[in-house]
Parts: sequence; structure tokens; C-alpha cells
Amino acid sequence: MRYRLYIIFCAIITIQLLFLLPIYPLKNMNAANGAQLKLFQALMCEEIFTNAPRNPTIVFSVTQKKAVCYTSFDQVPQKAFIYHNWFHRDVPSAKIRLTLKPPRWSTFSSIQLRKTDIGPWRVEITDQKGSVLGVLRFSVTD
Amino acid sequence: MEKFFLFLTTIRWQDVVDISLNSYILFRFYVLFRGTNVFRVLIGMTVLWFLQRIAISLGLIVTSWVVQGIVAVGAIIIIVVFRNEIRRVLQAKNLKSILWGFSYKSAVTPIEIIADSVFEMAQRKCGALIVFPGKEDLSDVVQGGTPWRGLITKEMITSIFWPDNPVHDGAAVVQGDQIRVVGAILPLSDRDDLPSHHGTRHRAALGLAETTDALVIVVSEERGDMLVAKGNRLREIKQKRTLEQNIQEHVGTAAVKKGAVKKERLEITAAALLSLVFMTGIWFSVSRGQDTLVSLDIPIDYTNRNSGTEIVDTSVKSVSLVLSGSGALVKSITPDQVGVRLDLSKSVIGPNSFSITTENISLPPGIILREVTPNVIEVLIDETIKKELPIQIDWSGKLPEQLILVDSVSDPETVEVVGGKRILEKVVTIYTEKVLLDNLKGKGEITANLVLNPASLTIAPRSKDKVTIQYLIRQRE
Repeated sequence: MRYRLYIIFCAIITIQLLFLLPIYPLKNMNAANGAQLKLFQALMCEEIFTNAPRNPTIVFSVTQKKAVCYTSFDQVPQKAFIYHNWFHRDVPSAKIRLTLKPPRWSTFSSIQLRKTDIGPWRVEITDQKGSVLGVLRFSVTD
Repeated sequence: MEKFFLFLTTIRWQDVVDISLNSYILFRFYVLFRGTNVFRVLIGMTVLWFLQRIAISLGLIVTSWVVQGIVAVGAIIIIVVFRNEIRRVLQAKNLKSILWGFSYKSAVTPIEIIADSVFEMAQRKCGALIVFPGKEDLSDVVQGGTPWRGLITKEMITSIFWPDNPVHDGAAVVQGDQIRVVGAILPLSDRDDLPSHHGTRHRAALGLAETTDALVIVVSEERGDMLVAKGNRLREIKQKRTLEQNIQEHVGTAAVKKGAVKKERLEITAAALLSLVFMTGIWFSVSRGQDTLVSLDIPIDYTNRNSGTEIVDTSVKSVSLVLSGSGALVKSITPDQVGVRLDLSKSVIGPNSFSITTENISLPPGIILREVTPNVIEVLIDETIKKELPIQIDWSGKLPEQLILVDSVSDPETVEVVGGKRILEKVVTIYTEKVLLDNLKGKGEITANLVLNPASLTIAPRSKDKVTIQYLIRQRE
């Protein structure tokens, strides 16, 4: 009787191992590849002061000369690139490549403001594959 | 011959009605006013009008102006001067006789009976005054009188002028075979060369004859002599035959011929034909005259567009039409009478090419299409789709130096837009109208309209065309 119970126990363990073993490496693989970039914070600000955004805003006057797009990532699995794509009234204006380094990284890009830049803007933050990670909208006024 | 049949095919039923109706109106004018002074003046006016047209065609500017002025004033003069005659014609006839009836001058004046009666009264020294009106209207000249309307007989004439009859001193007015009025008062002549034995009756006869074209027979009560007044002449008649001749000459040959009615019918038929020819001529000159050209820019009206499609672009918004016709018709054209329609029922998604033909153009009658520019229209048709798009606030103006707009949220954040697939593929954002910053403080809520660009886009029925904006303003660090 004990012998039979032992065989059944062994069979169950064997079956379980047969089903579960292939899952373990898949999960591990996903964990290695799935450690994607995670955008923690994205905002428009007037300037960067001691590595932190200062005066976050969504309206810039041309008299301020500059608009800054600040992005912060709290999960950078490996060295990577992101892009800040600046659009003025849906027309591409600038595409700025920025480098990210593990494990966390903050970076920013800026544009000089001129009289001709008055109007609505947006910045699309994309990874190196072109996937949109976030969109910021702002206006440039007089 | 072929051209003639081709022309016949261009005549519409409306044209036939147009000519017939106006010919009949002209003909009725003739029937109602023939023999009156109004009719003669109307003929004169028509001649003047033709003269004016000739003067215009020859380039005689001043002459055409003068004639035009005369015609314009003449129309008023006719109504004012001949108002009594017009009134008499219209009042004397009922609606049926105005629209349809014919009044033949069929009554034959019994000249022999009148002459016999007059001679008998002269022999008896019974005074008499008999008026035979000419073509002129006597209603303004002859005063008073009693309507009689009795057929002429010898007994009746002698009884009217019988000394005991209350109306024997007045004049009897003869028309056709009837005595229309008795006891009428005639204007007196103020001539001072009349013989002394001529009394009031003679002066009355001469007075009417001088002022009108009537013939008046007068029988002297004192002397029994017999005179005929016509124009400014007063002639004594000795023989009955001479009197008959005088009356006959005055009332016309129609009065003595038995076929007078037949002749009059022929005259009316000829007038009807002339009216028809005249109106046909006018119709030709007005509707088929091609002397004037005009160029019009007409917007294209696209019809029968398939559901689920929309017009994205067209090569032109309007076409230029060169039209010709008679001057009067061309001048009267209004833009709403001319239309250019393009049937899109057979259009396909993508570029389409349509030729503008006469079938696409509607014109008023009598106007001919000469040229269409451009005659080929390119129309880009697109499939209609819906697309959800983010809304972005278009801020403008300026906040005070120490303030910054930290955040804003629009409700809704997206809007569903309907439009052509090709257009909507390129549109990624829907902006609001300009939202002014100048008067904003602290935090609050405002509304703004959405601006659709291009204008062919529309907001889906379930979406809002306005957004509510919540904003937050803070002090700058």
C-alpha cells in the first residue's frame, strides 16, 4: 500500500516537473527582456536648477527665450536612447536624442523660443523603437 | 429645310402659349378700341417705339432719348386725355365681351327713311336737329339728352320733333339703325358771319360740326329749309337725292352694302393674323436674338453624393459661363436662374473627372450657352470615417510676469471627428479657439469652442463642440 502511494506521489511530482520546468526559463527570459523603460515623470518647465525642474508650466512667453522638456525614468534596465520630438502645430520642429543609463536617469531637452514659435506645441517622448512613452502639450504666447 | 425642322424642335410648348396669349391680348385691344382715337394714338406710339429701336441700332443717342421720352410721356397722356373714351369702352362691355365678344358695326343706317322724314318735316316747317357722329367721341361735347335706343322709322323721327314733344328742341343722335339719344344739347357756334335768319338750331348744328367730325342735319322751323353742317360749312340742301348722298358719304360705304358684316369679319380675321405675326416677330427678337453676350461665374452644385463619401477637393469652385441672348433677356438674368449641377452618383473613391455639358447647366428660356470654362472638373472623393482625436488648448495672450500657468485640464480630453479618410489621416490634434490668459487668476473654469481645420471636418453627433477648461495659476519661484 505504502509502495503504491509512493509511486503515485512520484508520478505526480514527475508530471508537475514536466509541466513546470519549461515555464521557469520563460518567466526568467521575460523578466530579463521585460525590464522596459518606465517613464516616471515628464513635464515642461522654464529651467533646470540643480538637476531638478524649476517653474513647471504649460505656457511659455517668447520673452522667456527657452522651453524645457524634463523626463525622469525610474527603471532603466540598460543603457538606452530616448527621443524628445518637438512639434509646432503638428509640424515636426526638432528631434533630440537623449541617453539613459541604468538604474534611474533624468534628462531634458530645450528649444529656443522666437516670435515665429507662437502657438500650440507638443513633445512626444519615444523610445528608440519609436513607441510613444508620453506626450506633453504646451503653448508659446506673446 | 433641315434647319427649319431643327428650329421647330427647339420651340417649347411654353413658347407657343407665350405667343398665342400675347397675340390674343393684342387682338382684343384692337377689337375693343378700334374706331376710337385711343387706337389711332396707340398705333402712333407703336411707330414711335419702332423708330426708337431703329435709332438705337443706328447709334443715334439723342434721337433715341427724345423718342423714348415721347413714348413715356405719351403713355401717360393717353390715359389722361382719353380716360373717358377708355372708360366708355370698358364700362359699356361686360367681362365676357371684353375677353371674347365681337361688336360688329352691323347696323345699317336707313338713309332713305331719314331723308324722307327730313323732307316731310321741312315741308311741314317742323324744326329738327339730327346728329350723325363720325369716328370721334361726342360724349364730352354733347350735353344732356335722354337715352332712346329706338329703331329708326319715319313715324318715330317725326314724332320726336313734333312741336308738342318735350324733347323736340334738342338734337337726336343717330347711330347705325338706332336713335340713341334725343333732346341732346349741342355746343353753339360763335361765328358772326351767319345769316340773320339762322337761329339757335343752326348755330348748334354748326357748333358741333366745327368741333367734331360729326354731320348734322338741321331743319328750319321758320323757313322750312333744310341744311347740312359738316366741318365749318353749313350747306342748304334742296333735293332729297343730295341729302342721301351726304349722309351716305358720312356714314361710309359699309352702311349701304349688304355684305358689310362679312367685310368686317374679314377685317377682324386680318387683325388677328396681324397680331399673331406681330407677336411672333417680337417673340423672335426677344427670345431668339443673340446679340448680347454675358459672362457669369456660377458655383458648382454637387448632387447625389454617395453616402459614406465626401468631397475632399475640387479643381475649381465655380465655372465661368458665356451666355448669349437678346439684350432684354440677358439683362434680366439673375444668378439664381442659372445653375451648374454635377451628378456624383457614379463617382468613385479617389480622383474623378467630370465634363460639364449642357445637361449640367440650367438656363432661363431664350438664353443660349456659348462657352464653359473650365469644361472639365476634377473632384477628389474620399471615404468618410470617424476618428478620436486629442484636444489641445490654444493659449494666447500673456500672464503677469510673476505668474505661471501650472496646469490645465480639458473636459472632454478627446473628440470624435468625422471627415475624409485622407484628410483625417493627417490630422492628429483638434485645437480650441484662442483662449486668452490676460484675465485669468488663481484657479477656475472656462469654456472654449473647438476649431476644425480643414472646415470639411465635422464633429461626430455624440461629441461636444465645446470644452470646459480647468486651470491652475501659481506664483513663479
